[in-house]
Parts: sequence; structure tokens; C-alpha cells
Amino acid sequence: MKKIIEVEHLTKTYRQKRAVDDLSFQVYEGEILGLLGPNGSGKSTTINCILSLLSFEHGSIKIFGEKMHPNNYAVKRNIGVVFQDVALFDELTVYDNIDYFCGLYIKDKTMRKEYILDALKLVGLEEFVKFYPKQLSGGLLRRLNIACGIAHKPKIIFLDEPTVAVDPQSRNNILSGIEHLRKNGATIIYTTHYMEEVEILCDRIIILDKGKIIASGTSDNLKSLANIEEKITVEDVDMSDKKLEKIKDLKNVENVLYCNNTLVITYKKGKNNLPTFIDFLKSEKINYQKIFSERPTLNDVFLELTGKELRD
Amino acid sequence: MFIHNFKYAFKTLFKNKVLIFWTFAFPIILGTFFYMAFSDIEENEKLDVFAIGLVEDVISEQNTMFKEAFESLSEEGENQLFDIDYVDIDEAKALLRDKDIEGYVVLQEGVPTVVVGENGINETILQFVVNEMIEKNILMKDYFQYKPDEMMSFLEKVQSFAVNIKDVSNQNMSYTMVEYYTLIAMVCLYGGVLSLHAMNQNLANMSNKGKRISVCPNSKGILILSSLLASFVIQLIGLGLLFFYLICFLHVDFGDRFFFIFLLAIVGSLAGLSLGVIISSTIKQNEDVKTGIVIAFTMLGSFLSGMMGITMKYIIDKNVPIINYLNPVNMITDGFYSLYYYDSLNRYWFNVISLFLFTGGMLIISVLFLRRQKYDSI
Repeated sequence: MKKIIEVEHLTKTYRQKRAVDDLSFQVYEGEILGLLGPNGSGKSTTINCILSLLSFEHGSIKIFGEKMHPNNYAVKRNIGVVFQDVALFDELTVYDNIDYFCGLYIKDKTMRKEYILDALKLVGLEEFVKFYPKQLSGGLLRRLNIACGIAHKPKIIFLDEPTVAVDPQSRNNILSGIEHLRKNGATIIYTTHYMEEVEILCDRIIILDKGKIIASGTSDNLKSLANIEEKITVEDVDMSDKKLEKIKDLKNVENVLYCNNTLVITYKKGKNNLPTFIDFLKSEKINYQKIFSERPTLNDVFLELTGKELRD
Repeated sequence: MFIHNFKYAFKTLFKNKVLIFWTFAFPIILGTFFYMAFSDIEENEKLDVFAIGLVEDVISEQNTMFKEAFESLSEEGENQLFDIDYVDIDEAKALLRDKDIEGYVVLQEGVPTVVVGENGINETILQFVVNEMIEKNILMKDYFQYKPDEMMSFLEKVQSFAVNIKDVSNQNMSYTMVEYYTLIAMVCLYGGVLSLHAMNQNLANMSNKGKRISVCPNSKGILILSSLLASFVIQLIGLGLLFFYLICFLHVDFGDRFFFIFLLAIVGSLAGLSLGVIISSTIKQNEDVKTGIVIAFTMLGSFLSGMMGITMKYIIDKNVPIINYLNPVNMITDGFYSLYYYDSLNRYWFNVISLFLFTGGMLIISVLFLRRQKYDSI
């Protein structure tokens, strides 16, 4: 696959604090790469360095095989960015906002109009063209923010936490819009601290912590790092120490955690331990309200690798 | 790209209610306030024309010097002071008794004597005018007695001086005019707030929109220049509105040199624009702080150039003239004053050139700061 972005040994320091520490990775044509990490892990700084908005001490960045710098307009023409903070003009309507930002890339007015209508359709804002940003809800604002960043149909799209603080309906709209962009051939770099989103969307995931890559690969690859196969949670259950000891001795059980009447058992092997465990509960006459089984999440991976939760 | 960015920069600035208030409405409100506050004062300070009697004897009819002086002060116009009744002594006494006149002057053997009914402002003025006439008359007689040859050249000088004064503007500059000029100068410098806002929209470290604009494939110089042009056009519209309001609604008379006044206001606005640009590009603070700096600079400059009292300008001129040479508000107001006080335009052009130099200096420093700027943090 063709490399679209190449980042080599990128290092960026803010007042003696390493925000990005010797980071190297590649982005391939047509893929969605997820940059996952808690707040302050260096995701946005990495993107700002790639976009030449920030200076950095060491490393090199190439896009389409060319060294990236602020005046590389040929490369910039093919980039679209949706920043974490909404960047819109309150004095312009929805249509004018998109027209302004799209016009910074596309000179031809007829083509621009077509592109704007496509962008409006993609984010589902066709009915709001004459609205001003202040008249829109938070979710609609985020959608407009995305439309402004992608209306010129760029080949590379950077999406920096585009779903922060949006309602479920808008989030679904945004995620399906991103899928649509990928189908149209765009390469997408998606940063978030919502692991569910990267699991759904991304072909590859890079997990960052303290400016460093701690793991990378597909979702399944990463989950294998979690060292568990299944997690069973039992809610509203009364357990004695003796019974907890019995559970620990069950087959494949890796760890048992009991807190606030909730029991969490992690299994090192096997993907279908739930029936056996339910039988155990029956035999021991243990009453409970709710029981469910989960596959390991990226949060478990992060927990395994760093000893802390992604959202800590 | 230039036109596209100009169009939207103009649209966003023009629809920004806060900026439009400070650019368009505030100067008009302040101008109205000046009009209400100061026009009454000036009206009260004006001398009313009052009636006096003039009584002449035969000798005085031959010696017309004093009579002509009184006649000149009773001619209709701005300088009219007296409404003269030419009467004999009995009629004068009767008129004074009936309070139809404030007093009368008897020209006896060519020398004026004042008779007034009671003590008041008008009576004091009449007495003062007559005393002045007598003193000047004595002075001139003494002088030309010793140097009769210089009489003609002196009269010529007096005549040419009088003509010069008349040519300058046809009027004297009132206290209200000083305030209006400082107001215009202040508005010019307030243009810095507009240019500051326009700049911030384009800088990645100042706004989210700036971040987005900074990643687009366009020269930062062109984007900034077109945004600044939009802010300058809005500033000129604001100035035009202010002048229109002052002239048409407050009936401010800018004399016959309006072109020079407007030209100076345009150049002053350029200086204001450059002030916003340099503060935006060199100071690492948020937009509110930067706006505060522009306003504080403008207010301080206005104060030092005499907005709160013209005496301050003279104090600075006398003690620390360098401040006034560097103060753009002073350059503007001084240019305005020079149109009133001097026949020649030398001082006016000096101020125009100074403003251009100020603008150029500010812009050069800003460009040096902005050139190839990459940020450590945003």
C-alpha cells in the first residue's frame, strides 16, 4: 500500500515537558488510522506538527512523499482538517461558513457550489443553510465544523476529536459521514479518546500515552495484548470470601474482583465461559440481578499496558 | 483569493455588532455628547449686541478715527458688538433713562467719553472698548511722532496681516472644534481594534478559525492583506458616517479645507490600522487583552494631545516634545490645528508624512515578526 504520511522520530517539547517523544508511524492510502489516547497524550500536538502549525525539535514529516512545511501549498491543497474546537464565523450563515472555507481551496464558483451541497448532505445540514451558528445545537455545530473542513474533498482528512460533547444522533451522523468519506477514497487520521469509535471506524489504531506509541495495530491485534479473552460481570450479588476463593479456582479464571456488590471475573482463555459460570452460581445457590459477558476492550489493553484507564 | 477573503472579512467585520458599535455608533454618540455639552457653553460665552448712543460735536465730525472704529464694531456680522443710535446729548440721556441703551459715548473734540447707567457686563465692555481705543490712539501718535517714515509700511503690514488671517479659514477655532478634532483622531486610532480583530482571524495562535485558515494553501500575506483592507474600508465608512453626522446634523463647520481634513483622517486611519497590526503580531496575549492595549494607547494618546484639555498638549510640547512627535493622535490633531492656525500647509504635510512614517514603521516591524512564523504552542 502507498504511504501517504510518514512521520519519523517526531519530538516536540513544551517548556521542558515532552509532548511528543520520538514518534514514528506511517499512514497508508485509503485507511482510517485512529490515534487513541487519554487527554494530554500528544494526539493533537502530533497532528499540529504534521500540519506545520507547530515547530518541533527533531524528526521529519513527509506527506505524499514531500517534506511538509508551511508553504507547501501543493500538499496543503489535498488536506482537510477538523479541529477539536469549533472554528466557525458567528456572523456567517451555515452556507457562507462552508463557502468561505471551501473557497480557500476551490476557486471555481460552480464547482464550489456543488461541493458545498455535497458537504451539507453528508453532514445532514441541508435544512439549516440559512441558519447562523448561534441558532444551531452543539451537535449541529460539530457537523457544520466537519462540513467546513471537508467540503473541498481533500485526499487526507484529519479529524481531531470531532464527536466530543455531541448527542448520540449527531455522533451517529458524524461516524457514518466519516465512513462515507473513506468510501470516496479519503485517507483519514482520526484522533479520539472514545475507544468505541476507533473500534468501529479504524483500520489501524495507534495508542499513545505521554507522547509515545505504546501499541499499534488492528483492533483484534491490540485486544490480544490485553492478556484476557472474556470478562463476566455480575451485578447485585452477595459474595462471601469463601465463595470468592472457589471462583478463583475455576477453570481459565485469571482474576476476580468484588466491589460494591459487583463481581468481575476475567478469563485468560476461552470465549464462552458464561454458561459454566451460571451453572456454578446455581450450584452454589448464589442470587444475583444481572449477569453479562464482554470481550476485552481497548480500555483493557490500555489498562494492561499502562496500569491506568483510558479516561483517567 | 484576495477578493474571496476580502468579501468574507468585510462581511464578518460588518456583521460584528460589538465592533460596529465602537466604529460607527460610539463616535456619533460621543460627538452628540460634545455637541450637547459644549455648544451651550459657547453660546453663553458669545457677546450679545447691545444698543449704545453716540454723541458727536463739530470737531469730532472732522476727526473721524473714533467714529469709524465704532462704526466697524456696529457692522452686521460675527464681529458686531454695538447697535449705535446717533443722537444728541439730550436724546442720549433720555434713552439711557428709559434703558433703551446701555450707555452712550460722547465724542468731544475727537476724544470719547463714556456714560453708563449702571454697572453690568455690557457697560464694562463699552468702557473697556473705549479705553482700548484711547490707549492705542495715544500709543500710535507717540510712535509716529518720532518715526513718521514708518507709518506707511506699518499700515501695509497691518493690512496684509489682516488679509492673511482672513484667508486661513474665515473663522476662529472654538473649544468644541478642538474636541471634534480630537474625537476624529481618536476614531482614526480606534481603527486599530478593527485591524486587530481582522488579524486575529488569520493567526493560528489567536483563534480556531486562524488555525483552520493557516492550514489552507494560500499565502498568509495575501489573506492578512485582504482582511486588513476590509477593516480599513469599514473604518473609512465609519469616518464618512461621522463626518456626515457632524456636518449635516450637528452643523459643524470644517471651513474651506475639508479635503485636507478628510485626507488627514484617512492617513490617521492607516496609522490606527498599523497600531492594531503591530499589537496583534507582537504581543502574545488573547484578543481581549490586545484590544484593551489598543484602546488604552488611544486614550493615553488622546489625553496627551489635549482631549481632556488643550493645556496638556502645550505642556507636553514644551517639556517633552518627543512624546508628541511620536504620538499618532497628536500628529492627527496637530495637523488639524495647523490648517486653522497657519496659512502655509508645511506643518500639515509634516504631520501627514510623520503619520506615514509611523504607519510604515509599525508595519515593517509586524512583517518581520510574522514572516515564516511557526508557533511553539497554539
